[in-house]
Amino acid sequence: MSDFYQTGIITTLHQLGKPSLERLEGDLYRFSRVRPIALVLPALYSEFEGPAMQGIIQELSKVKYLNEIVLTLDKASEQELKHVRELMAPIPTEVRIIHNNGKRITEVYETFLRNGLDVGQAGKGRSAWLAYGYVLALGRSDVIALHDCDIITYNRELLARLCYPVACPNLDYVFCKGYYSRVSNKMNGRVTRLLVTPLVRSIQQLVGQHDFLSFLDSFRYPLAGEFCMTTDLARVNRIPWDWGLEVGSLAEVHRNYSPRRVCQVDIAATYEHKHQALSPEDPGKGLMKMAVDICKSVFRTLASEGVVFSDGLFKSLLVTYLRQAEDTIMKYETDAMINGLDFDRHEEAKAVDTFTKAIAMAAEAFMENPMSTPLIPNWNRVTSAIPDIFDMLSTAVEEDGN
Amino acid sequence: MKDFLDLILEPLNELFTKFKEFVPNFLAMLVILCIGIFLAMIIKRFLVKFLAAINFDSWSDRMGFTKIMRKGDLWSKPSAILSAIVFWLLIIVTMMSSLNALQIPAIDNLVGEFFSYVPRILSAAIILIVGYLITGFVSRATLIAAANSGFHYARILAKATHTLLIVLILAMVMEQLHIAPSIVLAAFSIVFGGIVIALSIAFGVGGIDAARRMIEKESIPKHEEPEKDEIEHI
Repeated sequence: MSDFYQTGIITTLHQLGKPSLERLEGDLYRFSRVRPIALVLPALYSEFEGPAMQGIIQELSKVKYLNEIVLTLDKASEQELKHVRELMAPIPTEVRIIHNNGKRITEVYETFLRNGLDVGQAGKGRSAWLAYGYVLALGRSDVIALHDCDIITYNRELLARLCYPVACPNLDYVFCKGYYSRVSNKMNGRVTRLLVTPLVRSIQQLVGQHDFLSFLDSFRYPLAGEFCMTTDLARVNRIPWDWGLEVGSLAEVHRNYSPRRVCQVDIAATYEHKHQALSPEDPGKGLMKMAVDICKSVFRTLASEGVVFSDGLFKSLLVTYLRQAEDTIMKYETDAMINGLDFDRHEEAKAVDTFTKAIAMAAEAFMENPMSTPLIPNWNRVTSAIPDIFDMLSTAVEEDGN
Repeated sequence: MKDFLDLILEPLNELFTKFKEFVPNFLAMLVILCIGIFLAMIIKRFLVKFLAAINFDSWSDRMGFTKIMRKGDLWSKPSAILSAIVFWLLIIVTMMSSLNALQIPAIDNLVGEFFSYVPRILSAAIILIVGYLITGFVSRATLIAAANSGFHYARILAKATHTLLIVLILAMVMEQLHIAPSIVLAAFSIVFGGIVIALSIAFGVGGIDAARRMIEKESIPKHEEPEKDEIEHI
């Protein structure tokens, strides 16, 4: 059982006791009449070939409170799209599929480009953004929930707990992030444990108290890919298309809304999904790439809020981070020992070395070009540039569906 | 025997003479066709580049033409589609001109009719484009005016205005193209008349009191304005 301590400046909703799933879903069914809920699933076709998606489909087949499901399918041929349609058929909720590689959606992306809107490279960020646009185009839902499609331990309670705070009309939350412990026989979630938290605390140590750093440090799992928000937020938020997606999205939420309207919720006792390789030698892939993008996103956000970065600050940051990360390893080692978990201290130290390199690379890239931004424009700007874009997008998805 | 041979050879001679007359015309037709296709291809390529240079696609996205194309399941760039339309128009003109070179009276009449129809196609296209722009402007103005007046059904009113104007423009285009003009006129009169009668009945049944109030308000003489005070207040 979890504790009930409220950390940081946002609200934390713990899992206390054994809340009834039936009660949760019953409440959500009532809430959905006032605030209809859309579920966005950014997926690759390869995820339909793995074990996770079967479980997700089975669980979603039992969910009755969803208004619509929007699946953004990437890296799939026409034949594979048909196969996905068949696989999704058991779900009673209306499922709309955005075929990212289809002729019509490709032309929609071309339309953005020729009107001076850089929507970045293919990936989870761009897929999620397009799905939000489609939900806004249909105008039938007030709440958008999103989760990854590679969750092996998926349970529909995860979705219910994620949606509850935003869907409930008596509460005033606009954004809710999921959190969970990434524990199997060992501790996973290296990027959050050994990069994000020590990095945020190191910067706090160097630049002092800062609103955004306090906000980011309040999240128990800032890199969780599961969140729920209002459609108003989806309309105004810009999201990054690179690995800085989670941190960049939180930065935009912090910029646009009061922390009083943001919460985090315990959505699962265990969470298992596909793991990325560390890739210490290649900054273009794996956790190394992810770490560089996340650091750049943090630096950019802080710079935009008035923090002055210099060579000296970055040099101090590397040393401070290393000390913080070493202390963190020690804490987790003790935590693993008391819980009887495997703990490879050498592997953890290697990860910290890799992340130190990533911070240095991100710092260099930031100093070279602090203006480089991978943020996709928000939907308000897009509709201002192309007034009929929602019509075009919904026509493209409908025609693909036919 | 000679008469018999003449009977056989004379049609053959005649056929040969006609063939000799036909071959140069046929060759002229082939030459016109080849040059026409070649020119059409060059013009198409030039047009694509020109439209790209003036940001035609982006303009089309903003003006709503791209949306119409997408509704019709056309998913190429607007500039590519316009270039293709121009290309095929040029091909049709080339084919008509090349057929004219055959100097066959029936085809000559057909070509003449085609070329006399071209101005109608152009004017219909202009009516369609200008009409669509005006429709967008008027429906937008209706939406803003109705919304600012606090009218609850502003969006429906704007959509109704848009639909009615589109019907009107399509009728004008069909009339211009001489496509079943009597049917178009009758259909238009029935649809428009029907809508007006429906609105009259709706207002007559549902808005008797409102109409009475409006009439009474107009018919009651206005009170004479009170005499102005001669003292000027500072």
